[in-house]
Amino acid sequence: MHDSLTADTGAPGSPARPAPRHPGRLPADGAARAQYVEDLLGDPLADDNPHGQRALLAADERREAPAATEELLNRYGLAAEFVPRELGGRLDGVEGLAQVLRPVFRRDVALGFGAGMTALFAASVVWSAGDGRQRRDTARRLLGGGRMTILHREFAHANAILRGEYTARPAPGGGYVVDGRKEVVINADRADAFVAYVRTAPGDGPDSHSAFLLETDRLPAHAVHRLPRARTHGMRGAHYAGLDLEQCPVPADALIGELGEGISLSLRTFQVSRSLVSGGALVGGMDSALRYAVRAVSESRRGLVLRGRRGRVLAGVFADLLACDSLAVTGLRLLDLAPEHALVPSAAVKYAVSALLHEDLDDLAAVLGARGYERGPAYGGFQKLVRDLPVAGLGHAGTADTQAVLVPHLRTLAHAAWRGESGHEAPAALFTPGAPSSPLDFRRLAAEPSDPQRGCDGLLAALLGAAARLDGRRSRGPRWAALADLARAFAAEVHSLADRCATLSGRPDAMAPAASYVLVDRYCLLLAAAACLAVCENAGPSAADGALLAEPDWALLALSRFGRRLGLEVPELPDGVALDLAAGLVDRYRRGRSFDLYGMRLA
Amino acid sequence: MQPIEPTDPRNGDARDRDGTGAGVPVAPHGASGLGTVATAHGCAVAPPVHIPRPDSSWLRVRENLLDRGATVAYATWTEWLPSVLTTPRLRALLGRDWDRYADTQDPVVRCRFAASRLLIKYTAAAALGIDPGDIDIAYRLGGRPYLRGLDQVEVGLTHTGELMAVGISRLGRMGLDAERADRRFDLDLIRNRICTPVEAAELDALPAGQRAACLLRLWTLKEAYTKALGQGMRLPFTEFGFDLGPGGLRTPDGTEALGDEWAFATHLVLGRYLISAACHDAGLDPAGDTSVGTMLDRRLLTAMTSPGQDTGGADI
Repeated sequence: MHDSLTADTGAPGSPARPAPRHPGRLPADGAARAQYVEDLLGDPLADDNPHGQRALLAADERREAPAATEELLNRYGLAAEFVPRELGGRLDGVEGLAQVLRPVFRRDVALGFGAGMTALFAASVVWSAGDGRQRRDTARRLLGGGRMTILHREFAHANAILRGEYTARPAPGGGYVVDGRKEVVINADRADAFVAYVRTAPGDGPDSHSAFLLETDRLPAHAVHRLPRARTHGMRGAHYAGLDLEQCPVPADALIGELGEGISLSLRTFQVSRSLVSGGALVGGMDSALRYAVRAVSESRRGLVLRGRRGRVLAGVFADLLACDSLAVTGLRLLDLAPEHALVPSAAVKYAVSALLHEDLDDLAAVLGARGYERGPAYGGFQKLVRDLPVAGLGHAGTADTQAVLVPHLRTLAHAAWRGESGHEAPAALFTPGAPSSPLDFRRLAAEPSDPQRGCDGLLAALLGAAARLDGRRSRGPRWAALADLARAFAAEVHSLADRCATLSGRPDAMAPAASYVLVDRYCLLLAAAACLAVCENAGPSAADGALLAEPDWALLALSRFGRRLGLEVPELPDGVALDLAAGLVDRYRRGRSFDLYGMRLA
Repeated sequence: MQPIEPTDPRNGDARDRDGTGAGVPVAPHGASGLGTVATAHGCAVAPPVHIPRPDSSWLRVRENLLDRGATVAYATWTEWLPSVLTTPRLRALLGRDWDRYADTQDPVVRCRFAASRLLIKYTAAAALGIDPGDIDIAYRLGGRPYLRGLDQVEVGLTHTGELMAVGISRLGRMGLDAERADRRFDLDLIRNRICTPVEAAELDALPAGQRAACLLRLWTLKEAYTKALGQGMRLPFTEFGFDLGPGGLRTPDGTEALGDEWAFATHLVLGRYLISAACHDAGLDPAGDTSVGTMLDRRLLTAMTSPGQDTGGADI
C-alpha cells in the first residue's frame, strides 16, 4: 500500500508497469480479436491453466487480483482496446470492444473491470471532450501500460461505490485546489491517472460539476493520500480503495472540456459505460452462469435429460440471455452507428438486462442445487458470479441512474403518434450483430434526447413494424403463428403504454410519482421485446448460428417470459418449443460455443 | 400515507412496545439454535412489528429499515378486515389484483387476499414514502413478488392461518415463512425430504423434547431461504442445510456454504406463530434513504431538460 500517489509513477511515457509487448499482427476485426483473447486465456477448466478457474478463484479467495492473468492481458495490450485508432489504439466500435471483453468477463467479472473496462470509463471523458494534449497523454499512458480510473460524483441514493465526492475552488495563482474523499473506488490504490467529477459550483444545477484529468505525476505527493483497500462482498479481487485529496493543487489545463460541463459529460459517457456493462459484464457473466447449470445437469445422475423442469429452466434462461444480448448488441451498435440517439436506449438496455439476468441467476441456483455452493474450480465460479454480478450492475443506485434518464422520456412517449403508422422505424443495421459498422465517435454523444418533440422512438416503432410483418409468416407453421400472436399483444402494449404516459403527464403531481417508475419498467421490457423480434427477423442463415436465431423458438420463449413479467395473458406455447431450444443450448454446450448471439468457439 | 379509516386513539403499536405483541427470538437451547443470528455484515433481523391497522404507527417499520436494513410487519387478516370492507378506494388500492379479488367466490379467501395485498402496499408505502395506490405489485416468473420499478427495496410475504406478514429489505432479497408454533411434523416421515444427512444426525442427537420444535424452525428457515431466491420448493431442501448450532447456511455435507451475506432469524409472534426470515445482503452498502421522492438525481434531470422545455417535463 502506498501512502502517496506519486510513489510509483513516472511521466506518461514511463509507466508503472512494463509496457506491453505487442503480440505480432492482431486482426483488425473485433470478433477475431475476441477469439484471440479467448484462446489466450485458454480452457477455464484445465487444471494446469494458470488463467483457469482454479487460479482465478484462488486469487478471489485471497482478495487479490489474479496477477498472472492481469500480466497476460497487459502483454496482449488490453488497454489499447480502449484507445481510438487515430490515437494509436485498436478501438473502432464498442460492439467489437464488448466482444473482446466477453472472454475476460466470462472468466472473472472483477478482472474485466479491474484490468480493463474501468480505464475506458475514465478515458471516454477525455475522448469526448479532452483537448489535444489530454488525448495524446491519455492515449500514451494507456498504450504504455499505465492505469486509469474514475472518481464519480455522489449520486442520489448513492451506495458505497458512488458515495462521497470532491470539491474544487479556483487557486489564487491560476488552476484549482481540490479537496475531498471517496472510500470505495476501483483501482484507486494503483492508478496513475484519475478522471474526476468534481464539484465546482454549489447547488443542484446542471453545471454544478466539472471533469478533471488528474495525472498523479503532476500533483504534489503531500496532497494525495491513498486509503486502504475496502472490503467488498462481491468482486473481492478488485482493488477497491479510497482516495483522499487534501488541498490538492491542480493545474488549469487539467480541466476536461468547459467549467461546469461535468454533468453533461457524465450523461454522455455513461451511455458507453452502461452499454459495456450490459453487453460485456452482464451478458458475459450470465453466459458462464448458464454453462455451470448445463454442466451440473449433464453430470447429474440422470444426465442431460431435458424433459421436465430443469430443461424448461435452462431453455428459459437461454432465451432470456439471447434476448438480453439482442438488446445489448442493439445498444452497442446504436452507439457505433448513431451515437446522438443512444441516450435513452442505453439507459433502457442497462435497466432491462440487469433486472432480467439477476432474476435468472436464482433460477439457475435451483438447477445447480448443492453444486451451486461448491468452491472448487468446477462450480466455484457460480457463487462468485452471484457475488460479483450485483456489484457490476451497482444495484439500486445503478437503476436510479438509468431511471433519471428514462422518466423524462415518458413525456416523449405520451406525445407519440403511433396509430396507423410504423414510421421512424430503427434501421435493420442496428439489429444485425457483427455487420459492418462505424467507429464510435465520442464527440457525437448527446446529453439531451435527440428529438423529444417529434415523439420518435425508433426501437418501439421497430416492434410495431416487426409485429405487422410477422402476420405474413403465419403460414410457416404454428410456432410462427404463435410468435405473430405474441408480437401483436406486445404491439397493443406499446399503444397502452403511450396512453398511460399521456394520462400520467396530465396528473398534477409536482414530484415524479411512483407510477412513472412502473411505466419505465414496462417500457424497458417492451424495448427488450423489440430488439428480440428485430434480431430474429434480420438473422440470416449465414449469420453466426443463424439457423437458431432465424427460427422463432427463442424469440417465442423470450417474449412469452417478457409477457408474463408484464402481467399479460400469455397463451401456452406450442408443444416442444422449450424442449427444442434446450436441445439447441445443449448442442452449443457440446460443441463448445458461447451462449450469446455470436455463438463463438470457446477455448 | 392515507389512513383508510378514522384513526383509533388506542394505537396498536403501543402494545408491541411492552413486548406482549412483538416477536420474540426463538432460541430454546441456549443462545444457539437457529434463533436470531447477527452477522458481521448481514442485517440482524429485527423482531417483527405488529401493525394491526393501516393507521397504526409505522415508525418502527421505518426505523428498522433504516437501522437494520430490513423490517417485518405482521397482522392478522381479521384485524385488517374492517379496512377491506370500509375503504372506498379498494379497487384503486388493489390495482391489477382487483380481478383476482372480484373473481374469488369464497368470501373468506377473498377478504384474506385483499387484506394481505393491503398490508404489502401499506408497508411498502411506509418504507418508500408514497401513496399505497401508486404501488404496482408484480411477480417474478418463479412467483416472488416485487415492486415494479422500485428496486430500492425487495419484499417478501407469507401467511398461515390468520397471520399475514410482509418483509421489506433495502440490502437484498428477502424471504419469509410462517407456521403455527404448535405444528408438528413426523420426523421419520419427512427427514429424507427436508434434512441433509448432517442435519438429521444433529436432530437425532437432541433431547427428544426439543426435536420437533427444532425441526419446525428448520423447515421455516428453509422455506424462507428458498422463497428469498424466488424458488419455493423448486430448490430441494436436501440440497442445502443449516447449522443447528450457530446458524448459517451449510452444504449438504455440513461445510459452510456461503459467506456472511445471508442473515436468518426466527421469531415467535402473537404467542402462537413462528415467523422465519432470510435476508440477503448484496454488499453494496446502499443508501439508507429509500424514499421515492429523492431517487432521481436532480442534476441529471435539469441537465436533460432543454431551456425551452417546461422543467416539469422531468416530473411527468
